[in-house]
Amino acid sequence: MVKFYENYFSYDFAWPAVTLAYFLRYPNPYSSHVLASDTLSRHLDPTTGKLTTVRLLLKRGKLPAAVARFLPKIKESYILESSEVDIRNQTMVTETRNLDWEGVISVVENQVYTPSYSSHNNSSDGEKTDVKLTVKISSRVGSNAREKVADAASSGGLWASWTTGSIQKSIEVIGMKRMREGL
Amino acid sequence: MSSSLAPECSEVKERYDQCFIKWYSEKYLRGEAKTDDCKKLFDIYKECLSKAMKAKGIDTMLAEARKNSKDLDMDIGQSR
Repeated sequence: MVKFYENYFSYDFAWPAVTLAYFLRYPNPYSSHVLASDTLSRHLDPTTGKLTTVRLLLKRGKLPAAVARFLPKIKESYILESSEVDIRNQTMVTETRNLDWEGVISVVENQVYTPSYSSHNNSSDGEKTDVKLTVKISSRVGSNAREKVADAASSGGLWASWTTGSIQKSIEVIGMKRMREGL
Repeated sequence: MSSSLAPECSEVKERYDQCFIKWYSEKYLRGEAKTDDCKKLFDIYKECLSKAMKAKGIDTMLAEARKNSKDLDMDIGQSR
């Protein structure tokens, strides 16, 4: 089964600053659960000017203490993050996906960053950046998993946490939920 | 800068990250980048990281995830 979720928002910063902030976003005081980020590959295409990056993020799983005690191996999990910056067209496309639990449920978040264009004269105001966010949830497990995801959705917390694009948090919620069910 | 998943690579990672951020903000974002100036530092960092990932079994996990995701839109660009 596959589910999609879509959202739009914008930052009050110019596009170049936002793309730089994307690469610098860890560590920050609001994401203390992200323990490490490593660059696996980085490539500049000299003909198109596009910069492609693949990074691996290691985060601490926020499992309830009672559960984590029995499953010490699943205290940490990995997120794969790919990005492509197109300097000529002023576009950055990013993708994050979970690596753990991937066979059970896969959550893929895509973001497209572009400079905001004013609706009046179709020119960039230069100070804002639009973001289009798409989340795709798929599972091979079938209807069983679908019901469980629906449970999570009806609780509100899971979906609410997606609105600002914090995919890591969402994945944690799912991971935590699956963990509870596994016991 | 964020730390590396392999503490022994943190120093070379730090040097690479600093180089990259400087290159990205001073050259790439101004449309002046012809080559990746930090390639040498990246190769040193990458060598350290690859060893650590092998030792921790992360390389296998990554390869499996990529294989499993073939039916999904693994590569950026195909997903739009």
